[in-house]
Order: sequence, then structure tokens, then C-alpha cells
Amino acid sequence: MKLADFQSLFQERVLAGSGEADKPLLKKLRLSPRGATPETLLDVYQTGYRIRLADFVSQDHPGLRAILGDETFETLVDDYIDWRPSCEPNARFFTTRLPDFMRENSPWRDDARAVSLALFERAMVDAFDAPDKTPLAVQALADFTPEDWPRLAFDFDPSLTLLELAAGTVRAYDAAINEEEAEKVDAPTAGDQVEYAAVWRVDHESAYRQLEPDEYVALCEARAGHAFGDICQITAFQQSGEITPERLAQCLSSWFEDGMIIGVRVRDDHSSNTPSSA
Amino acid sequence: MEKPAPLGYGLGLRPVYYDEILSSRPPVDWFEIISENYMLAGGKPLAMLDRIRADYPVVMHGVSMSLASTDPLNFDYLRQLQALAERVQPAWISDHVAWTGVHGVTLHDLLPIPYTRESLAHIVERILRVQDFLKRRLVVENASTYVSFVDSEMSEHEFVREMAERADCLLLLDVNNVFVSSFNHGFDPIAFIDGVPAERVVQFHMAGHTNNETHRVDTHDQPVCDEVWALYEHARRRCGDVSAMIERDDNYPPLSELLDELQHMRDIDARIANERALSAA
Repeated sequence: MKLADFQSLFQERVLAGSGEADKPLLKKLRLSPRGATPETLLDVYQTGYRIRLADFVSQDHPGLRAILGDETFETLVDDYIDWRPSCEPNARFFTTRLPDFMRENSPWRDDARAVSLALFERAMVDAFDAPDKTPLAVQALADFTPEDWPRLAFDFDPSLTLLELAAGTVRAYDAAINEEEAEKVDAPTAGDQVEYAAVWRVDHESAYRQLEPDEYVALCEARAGHAFGDICQITAFQQSGEITPERLAQCLSSWFEDGMIIGVRVRDDHSSNTPSSA
Repeated sequence: MEKPAPLGYGLGLRPVYYDEILSSRPPVDWFEIISENYMLAGGKPLAMLDRIRADYPVVMHGVSMSLASTDPLNFDYLRQLQALAERVQPAWISDHVAWTGVHGVTLHDLLPIPYTRESLAHIVERILRVQDFLKRRLVVENASTYVSFVDSEMSEHEFVREMAERADCLLLLDVNNVFVSSFNHGFDPIAFIDGVPAERVVQFHMAGHTNNETHRVDTHDQPVCDEVWALYEHARRRCGDVSAMIERDDNYPPLSELLDELQHMRDIDARIANERALSAA
């Protein structure tokens, strides 16, 4: 048997378990001098594969395990492992597509609260090893004149993710990581109610906080590169109430304080790619 | 044979020990990292590594090069590995006599091969290409295996010896893996150690494993057992001054327990040195 054929057979045995298809592989195995059956020895590889991947999913999704319960969570993990084999050299990135899997596949897509918590925890993991950038202090604004302010645009830390979640998602995550008793924690609502959150990294650790709806819209627009003066007008179209310059300044101050902003520039009316000024 | 200078006694760098290493600067001569755990855009693992690297030599140990796979070499992976090496400036880079998947799949395990002429030619050619790409000699480790194959045309140590000589690579002798595989397949571990080219060995791995009675599994979650310590002594007598380390990847004990295992290594080596001095006198 050629090496390539052998490897295809062996891999299929690891992914699919024992069955008719692995008979040609079994013929190629030497007998164990200790009496272990070929199935037992091949299972070392098969169970090892599944255990390793399941461990990564468990590490990344403590909140999901808490709201689903151990048994349902393990069913989810088994379904996810069966969905597609890992293709990442680094096993920790195997978990990246769990929220997509849940959104696309029954019965998981019907559990909006679980999908929401999976998305939130995914953002927490992604923030952990996003590229390194140095946050700016609010004093950076002192470099700009009052006339510049309407045209100020901001660059945000690459770890920042903005999320629209099922209401109660952040509370459920808090409870899970603080190991509160499950029965005392309200699960995220499955209805139409939503909440907003920002996830990013501060001092090497993932951070998060809930956002008011107006701050969420403003932050989305600011991160899209819109200038300070434009954001007030844009938000007026996107929600019932207009965000005032004072409220936007308050938000801006907290974004600096949270370490979300890494650059400030004066946006040229003719181009959105004016070089950074701070 | 030109080899990197021995580094002394090392430990596998694991996140659970970051804070203690940085605060107490333990008496460890060097650390080995799992390369893939630091092939990241940024964040805490790289920041911790930079701080530890400032005080300790580091070697890079990979688990995903898939040297024996019949898939094409993954040059995206190798480029990331090279970038990490430029940052870390490791004393050497190692990976395994193993494959991790085919058809684009990664099984996150070090999978066995039949020791055939075809496998040998295949892995030698790939090691040579990797060495050309990385512009350095690769260090290649024997893996633990749980199955062996009727198609094998040579023993594992014969395969490793010929691979190392034809690819002109260096070797990482995992003493625990020798023991685990010898138990599972019924070969003599001493013959294995005596069969590998000692002049190419630059590093020893020591670790614990799980005894399932009919087979042993390389779990790295136990202290080193007595049989493996005995084998270490034999390997040390044969290979001489080689960098040695303890691997621990689960069931993490206090760092002091790993330091005790390093001290046990030092004690064995001191005893061997004394015996040699006495016999030379």
C-alpha cells in the first residue's frame, strides 16, 4: 500500500471510527505483543482527536456550557466535531466557527440565546490574541484645534468587536465565569429583545462592557471611519433620538478611557485616508 | 558534526507557569515553547514569551509541520514559523517523525507511519526542503506510537538513523517516547538508543505517560516513571552533554515539582560524571 493510501485510510479511521471501511487498515497492523486489540489501539488516536478538540471548545465557551448544561453542551461539541474536521495547524482556532455552525444547523439555530452567548464568547477569544496596538490617552485630543473637531476620525484597537446580542447574554456570561449557581441565573431571552456589547483587549486580557443603544450606534459609525461631526447626523437617521454632541463627547471620553482608541486623525473632506495626526 | 552548544536543563514553557517564572526567575537553564501556541497576531502569550526570552534561551518545538504527510508542505505555516523564529531567535527548531493529516485536515496528533523505503525517501526530501526554507538544520524527534505495521521494512531506530544521515538533520531523543513505543511494540529500548546516531542528538525530552496495562499512552500528565529515568541514564551515558528537559502538558503540578525532576536529572548526570572521573583517574 502506498503511503498516501495508507494515510487516507488511517485518517478516515480517526474521523469516522471503526467500521467496514477500516478493514484494509486492520490488515496492515501488527499484533500487539501485550494483547491490546487493534481497535483499542486505533481508538487511542480517535478518542485523542475528539478529546483535544472538545477541550478547546470547553475552554473557550464556559458560558455556553453553563446555560446548556453539561449533557447538551457535550452533544453540541460532538455535533460540531462531526460537522467538519479541523483544518487549522493550531488546534485553538478549531473553535472559531462554532457560532456559524450553531446558526446554520438544527437544533442549535433555534436556540437564539445559546447562539448569542457563543458569539460573545467567540469575540472574547478573538480579542485575546488580536494584533498588538498601543491605546491613545485622551490627551491626544489636545493636539487638535476646536476647528478640527467636526472632522476628527478615530482608529480603534483591532481587538474591538461590537455585538448585538439577545438580552441577558452578558449577565449569563458573568454568572458563568463567576460560577454562580445555574438556577439563580436568568438565561438570555429568546425573544426580540436585544442588548449591545463591546469586546476588546486591555493589558493582555479580554474586556467587555454593555453599551447603551445610542453608544452602540455611535461606536459602529466611529469605527467605520466617520468623523465626529458626521456621527451625530448619522445616528439621527438610525434611531428615534439624535445623539447630541455632548453625549458623543461623553462616549468618546469613555472609549479613550477604556483603551479602545489607537489613532486620531483629521478627516479630509476629499478623502477618508488622510494621514494620522496623532 | 557541528551542533548547537548544550543549554543545560530546561522546561516546557506553559501558560500556567508564566507568573511564577516571571516573579521568581526559577533555576531553569532554558525553556522550550510549543511554536504553534505563539504563532499569533499579538496578545498575552507573545508578550509573556518576549519577557521570558529576555532572561532565558528558548528553543521552538512544533507539532504541525507534518513532515511525513503526503499532503504538500504547508508554506503558510512555515512562513509563520520563520517569522516567530526571527522574533524568538531560538537555539533550534524541532518537530516530529510523524504526520498530522492529509487532504487539508489536521488531526492534532503525531500519527504513525510504516517504516518503509518509500516513507524514508518521502520524509528525507521534506526535511531537506524545510531546512532550505528555514535556512537552518531541523531537529527531528521520535514520536510515541500505539500501532505498528506489517509493511515496515526496518526498525524505527534504523529509520531514524538513516533519515538523520540522509537529511543531515539533528535529533531530539524523546526518552519517554522510546519507552512508550518499546512497550507497545515489544522492542528493546536500549537497542533503540544505541541505534540512533548519538553525534546528531542535541536534545532529550523527558515526560510521564499513562499505563493502560496492554498499552501505554504518551500523555505528559504524570511524573517521569522509574523505567524512563533508567533509560535516561543510559541515553546520557551514550550521548553525553545534551540539553535535557521535562515536558508537562496536563495535570500541572506546582512548578517546584518540575524543578525537583530537573534536579533529579542533574543528580544522575553528576553521578555519571563522577564515575567517569574516577575511572579516568
